[in-house]
Formats: sequence, C-alpha cells, structure tokens
Amino acid sequence: MNTIAEFMSTDHRACDLTFATAEQAALTNSLSKAETAFETFRQNMQRHFRMEEEVLFPALLDAGGPGGPVQVMRMEHAQMNELIELMAAAVANKNTQEYSGLSETLLIVMQQHNLKEEQILYPIADRILAAELESLFSRMQAIQ
Amino acid sequence: MSTVSLSTEQAPPISVPLRFFAVAPLFLVLAALIGIMGDGIADTHTPALLAATHCITLGFIGMIMFGAMQQILPVVIGSPMPSSRLVAWFSLLPLIFGTLSLSGGFLLGNSALLHLASLLLGLAFLVFIAASLVSLARAAARNTTATAILLSVLALTAAVALGLVLAQGYASGWQLNYPKLAAAHISLALGGWVMLLIVGVSYQVVPMFQLTPTYPKWLSVGLAPALFSALLLNLAADYFEIHTLGFFAVCLFCLCAISFALVTLKLQFQRRRSVPDATLNFFRLGMISLLCAALCAMVVLFAPAHEYFRQLSIVIFILGFALSVIHGMLYKIIPFLVWFHLFRGGVKKGVPNMKEVIPEHWMWRHLWLHMATLLAALLAFFWDTATWLLILGLSLQGVVLSFAIFTGIMVYRRTYQRLAKV
Repeated sequence: MNTIAEFMSTDHRACDLTFATAEQAALTNSLSKAETAFETFRQNMQRHFRMEEEVLFPALLDAGGPGGPVQVMRMEHAQMNELIELMAAAVANKNTQEYSGLSETLLIVMQQHNLKEEQILYPIADRILAAELESLFSRMQAIQ
Repeated sequence: MSTVSLSTEQAPPISVPLRFFAVAPLFLVLAALIGIMGDGIADTHTPALLAATHCITLGFIGMIMFGAMQQILPVVIGSPMPSSRLVAWFSLLPLIFGTLSLSGGFLLGNSALLHLASLLLGLAFLVFIAASLVSLARAAARNTTATAILLSVLALTAAVALGLVLAQGYASGWQLNYPKLAAAHISLALGGWVMLLIVGVSYQVVPMFQLTPTYPKWLSVGLAPALFSALLLNLAADYFEIHTLGFFAVCLFCLCAISFALVTLKLQFQRRRSVPDATLNFFRLGMISLLCAALCAMVVLFAPAHEYFRQLSIVIFILGFALSVIHGMLYKIIPFLVWFHLFRGGVKKGVPNMKEVIPEHWMWRHLWLHMATLLAALLAFFWDTATWLLILGLSLQGVVLSFAIFTGIMVYRRTYQRLAKV
C-alpha cells in the first residue's frame, strides 16, 4: 500500500464483502450463520471507524486539514452505527423483513459516505500527511 | 478544497430534486397522448412524433437529469450546485412551459409557440448549464467522473444551441440544411449529454452501490474522451462531407458504447450482493438496450439501404437505455432521500427504512411494464397495432411512476409531521 486512499479503500471493500455475506445469511434464514456473519460485519465496521476516528482524523486535523468535512464524516459514522444497532436488533429478533430494509438503507448510506471519503478526503490526507504514512499505517493496523 | 464542499448543507433540500421527479412522469403521459395523433414511430419527422419525442427527451429525461444532478454532484465530485433553490425554480418552470410550447408549436405548426419555446428552453438550459459549470469548477475531486460530466455538459450546450437554431429556423422559415442540423442535434443530445452523463455516474455508482468490482482503468480513463472525440469527428465529417471519416467516427462511437455495455454487464454479473433488486434489473436492461442500439447503428453503417435501423437505434437508445437507467435510479434515490432527510432530523424512532417508502412489488411491476412497452416499441416498426400498445405502455408507466413518487412524498410528509409532534 502506497497511499491512504488505497489502504482505506481496500478496507472499505473488505467491509462491503462482510456486509454482503451478512445480508445473504440473514435473508436466507440461516440463523446461526446470520448471527456470526453479522457480528463479523459489525466488528469490521467498528474497526474501520476507529482507525479513522482515533488515528486518521486527528492526524488530519493536527496537520491543518479541513475540520468541516471531518465533522460530517464523524456524523455519518454515528448514523451508520445507529443503523447497525437496529440491524443487530433485527438479527436478534429474527426479523428478516426489517433486516432487509435496514440493510438496503445502510448500503446506500455507507456507499455515499465511502465515495466522499475516497474521492475527496483520502486524497487530501495523502497530500498533507505524506511524510507520516508509514507510522499512520502501523498505528491503524494495530487497532483491533 | 473548500471546506463547504463536504458540509452538512451540501445536499439540497429534499424539495429540490423531488419537484423535478414529481413533474417528469406527467410528460410520459403527455407523450403517449400526443402519440395518439401520430402515425407510428418509423418516421421521426412527423409533427406529432417530434412533439412526443421532445416530451420524452426534454420533459422526462431532461427534467429528471436536472433534479438528479443537484443531488448527485455533491456526492460524486464533492461540489454542490450553487443556489440550489433558485437554480431549481429557474430551470424547472421554463423547462415545463418551454417543453409544452415546443410540443404545441410542432403539433400546430405555430411560429409564436416555437419562438416562445426557444426563449423558455434557452433560459432553462442556460441556468442549468451555468450552475453545472460552477459546480464543476469548484469540484474538489478531479476524477474520471468529473471529466465525463464536463464533456456531457459541453455536448449538452452544443445540442441546445443547435436545437434553438432549428426551432427558430422552423418558426421563421429560414433556409437551413435541416437533416444535417437535426442529425448533429440528436447525436450531441443523446450520444453526448445522455450517454456521457450515464457513463460518468456509472463509474462510481455501479461498483459502489451494486457491490461489483471497479471498472478497468483503460475504460474509466479512456471511454468518455473517446466517445466525445468520436462525436466531434462525426460532426466534422458531416460538415466537410468526408464519408470515410464519418464511417470511422460512428464505428468508434459504437465500439465504445458496446465496450461500456459489455463491461458493465460483466461487472454486474460479478457482483458480491446476490439479493434480487429491481433497480439492478432496470440497469441491466438499460445496458442490453445500449448494446442493441449500438449494433443497430452499425447495421446502418454497413448496410445503408436499411435506413430504418437508424430510427430503431434511436428508439432503443431513448426508451431502452435512457429510460431504464433513469427508472432504476429513481427507485433508489427517492427512498434514500426520504430516509436521509427524516433520519438526520434527530428523532430516529419510527423513520421508515428504504424498503418502507415505495413498495418493492411496485418496482417489479413497473419493470415488467417497461419491458412490455419496449417490446411494443420494437414491434411497432413492423406492426401498426403495436403502436397502440406502446402508447398504452408509456402512459401507464407515467401513471405508475407518478404513483411511486407521490407515495414517497406522502411517506415523507406523514412521518415528518408525526416526528414534529414528538
């Protein structure tokens, strides 16, 4: 990985994959699989949010990066977390229909969020954090 | 990059896109009603078919694109249109009345209506093009999508300019080379504006929202400039009457369109999400139609005697490609907008999720109706009675889509009022 954009976009795609697996399991009524797959997805998402909120965003702000967009990204993380919690309840209640609607909604919220990060925020991060990429990568990878 | 470009206010108010979406389906019904007065779809130059075609291209496709661009630009290029409400009113109203005057002008052969149409449509497009260019100039992202959208707006500008010349020419009885100008107008409007816009937005929408692999780099970097160059070469060939160049340019354009359609279908085949999705099927139908439209255009190239393939190609492009993609997009964007504008209000409990806005079975029924309409349009070339099925299908689609959009608006209003009381 040479850039933040590549590193983080790869993680987005990995989250997408667990999203699709969890959705498939939930909608085909394989309940034990659904719970495990959803848990993996939830953990991946939370890890990704923490990599950004605990490492990337503070580094970006310290280097004089734009505060407004970072604030919007944090708000969207909060929105997604709320949807993920509703989905967790739907999995627990085995409510397939509710899960399907929430999952459809989360997909759009998540992807329009990813688009903004990948097209705009990460390229900015790559420009202003060019000198500390290696240390950023290792700090983000250390997050469990 | 400007910090406002990602602010919370970057998304226009929900009323901005929805007012365009609410009006547009009525023009499908109007096009069908005008079609009753025509005699088939094989000849483009009858007044009724000209009027009906412009109801679809300006009143429906143009209207939806005006609304959708306000919503999509902040997400795909990180830059909203300036003064969204003002731009909305000054593009919506003149587009509605301009399209009505233009259709009336064609049908009645009335010069005054054609003059009025030129004025109103000129204003609508001036406002929209200026706002799009400002948004592009301020864009934080300089990506392949931004390039394709810029080229599509340039093509639109030229298509509108030619359209105005044609309308003024008809109204004032100018001596112009009408077939040549009309051919350039059509190729810039459909091959330029519609095609490039869909290409540019697909680069991001297909991989991300349909969970497919990304487009190969050679395609996302090269396709839009190649399509645009082919259009310019074709215009030059037509103007200077260099037939070999024209042949080459149309071949290049069709091969690019075919590559885009095939690659998109292949990506969709490799998607990671296997949940059935009406939107995805609309999009697939759009790509298959684009493939067929390009093949029909190539038939004319190699067998000029089969002139009706040109008209067939245009019909498949408009009804099969543009309309399918637009329907699919609307069934995603409207539920999302309703959810998004309610959910960010603070009260989360009781906000309907995306599948609770427009019933899913409604989308699937519309997909079947759309396929039947498309089939009727193809049959209408050989069998007159099918024209009536096409008219019926198109008007029903207008009604179905109006109902879906109205349902979305009502769900938003009801939930908003209920949440306001909490």
